Amino acid sequence: MSILQQTLERTLANDDTFPTKFYQRLFAAHPELRALFTRSTPGAQNKMFAQKLTAIVDHLDDATWMKRELGTLAASHVSYGVTPEMYPWVGEALFGTLAEACGEAWTADAERAWREAYSSLVTAILG
Amino acid sequence: MEPDEVIDAALPWERVRRSRAPRVPHLVLAWSLDEPERVGEVLPIPRPTAIGRGGPLADDPFPRGALHQLRPGRAIAGPPITSARIGRQQLVVEPRGEEAVHVRSIGPARVRVAGKVVTEAVARLGDVIEIHNAAVFLVTSRAPQPASTTSLDFPYGAADPFGMIGESELAWRVRDAVAFAAATSRHVLILGESGAGKELAARAVHGLSKRRERTLIARNAATMPDALIDAELFGNVRNYPNPGMAERPGLIGEADGSTLFLDEIGDLPEKSQVHLLRVLDDGGEYSRLGDAVARRSSVRLVAATNRPLETLKRDFLARFTHRITLPGLAERREDVPLLLAAILRRTARENPQIAARFFERRTGEIAEPRLAPDLVIRLLGHPFTHHVRELERLVWLAIGTADADYIGLTADVERELSESAESSTDTSELDRDTLAKALADNERSPTKTAKALGLKNRYVLIRLLKKHGLSATESDS
Repeated sequence: MSILQQTLERTLANDDTFPTKFYQRLFAAHPELRALFTRSTPGAQNKMFAQKLTAIVDHLDDATWMKRELGTLAASHVSYGVTPEMYPWVGEALFGTLAEACGEAWTADAERAWREAYSSLVTAILG
Repeated sequence: MEPDEVIDAALPWERVRRSRAPRVPHLVLAWSLDEPERVGEVLPIPRPTAIGRGGPLADDPFPRGALHQLRPGRAIAGPPITSARIGRQQLVVEPRGEEAVHVRSIGPARVRVAGKVVTEAVARLGDVIEIHNAAVFLVTSRAPQPASTTSLDFPYGAADPFGMIGESELAWRVRDAVAFAAATSRHVLILGESGAGKELAARAVHGLSKRRERTLIARNAATMPDALIDAELFGNVRNYPNPGMAERPGLIGEADGSTLFLDEIGDLPEKSQVHLLRVLDDGGEYSRLGDAVARRSSVRLVAATNRPLETLKRDFLARFTHRITLPGLAERREDVPLLLAAILRRTARENPQIAARFFERRTGEIAEPRLAPDLVIRLLGHPFTHHVRELERLVWLAIGTADADYIGLTADVERELSESAESSTDTSELDRDTLAKALADNERSPTKTAKALGLKNRYVLIRLLKKHGLSATESDS
């Protein structure tokens, strides 16, 4: 398993509130983003976030899947009003929450792997 | 089958014997955080099986199992599990005979078997395997089923066109029995405890029969006053028995060419059972009260009772060619999660306030309920005595006593489950002498005696009395 899968599995298994903490961190840093998250209840949003994140990490080597899923994701994000400058905000909230949840397991290698993966993901989404 | 027995494969019954496949342990998905729409899907364990999120991995210790939509004669493998909290490699499950599995946790999530956190354990029929806050599986056992004889087609896990819910072997056996009975015009007796779905089955018999274009006439025999039963059933001519009485066709006349559903037929006095014998014969002959002319009615009687068969007169009982026995909910507990989901969906549709409080909303639409796994696990182990009706009541109790925004195991539900479980398990400890003394102490009243003994209802007592060769008067029925 990749270092991304390992850190994410460990986080989700050890901390049931990981998705909640991610959104708390995101909204604390950028309160204006709250307005974009009104269509779904927080519980549904948390589940969608954890499931989508896990699916992406599971399929990083599957180009066909990534192309299809990211295409849909990109289109829906534009329709929700997501703009390019918001992606780094989400990234920082994600790395911060993962670092907090993983503790010592959040090594320099893990952080590098996550930042690289996220950066290539954003590039793919923004085209 | 003896090992040295010779089988003549040319004979069809011998072929069947040879091909009898053994039962295999199965895991039924009873609750899922991320994939609630897949509840009721089944994971067969015919051999050591790896279970985890996503598709197969090169280093899987055993071939990866898949959740199936499993129906008699049909198995459709679903996509891989996507639950985020289930490890990529989470469980290794190996069969132990036909009704047990050995479970080994190899993933990051905590695993409980029968309530205990384990890394390795044997789970038996009816036990629950829980992947912490991700999924709940119920251990069941199934044999491959031949294709169903019904032509019913409806989405997996949903209510069939007649409202019956269940994908268990027993649910499909009932559907087959209903379809078989419906295809003939013979009278049908439906047996089952209160709340097991007798009226639903009766309506299905009618709905699948050639008579479905005509309206089903339904009546509860227990609500007919003794003195008026014959008039209700057979009708009367004008001015009979009293001047000014209007002419009435009676239920038999109304149901001519259709189906008459008589519920609680066990409450019909013996005299009335005798009066019905003639009309239940092929000729369908009967007379309205006060009428000298014999009439004919092509009525099909579908009767239902929750009483022991012995309470019906033998020749009356013999008129029912088909008997359909409805299983209790505890006998098909793998259907509990599907019924629970259906009850909750209906509740949300009918009550916007409940939907707003207890259901997730996705992109504006009402989605799945916030349902705690502990409630599902307790319901899976509950010995239901009033079946679907009891489940429905427990759901409402859980909703009514919830102190947060999810439906879970509240103190009231816990108390109710414990109390009814106690009263339904005590029966084996009641011996003949205790029953006889309790009857004598309670004026031989079944209701009072049942209450004094802490039994769920008087029917439980009546069954126990029969078992011990005792009887009670039905004076307060």
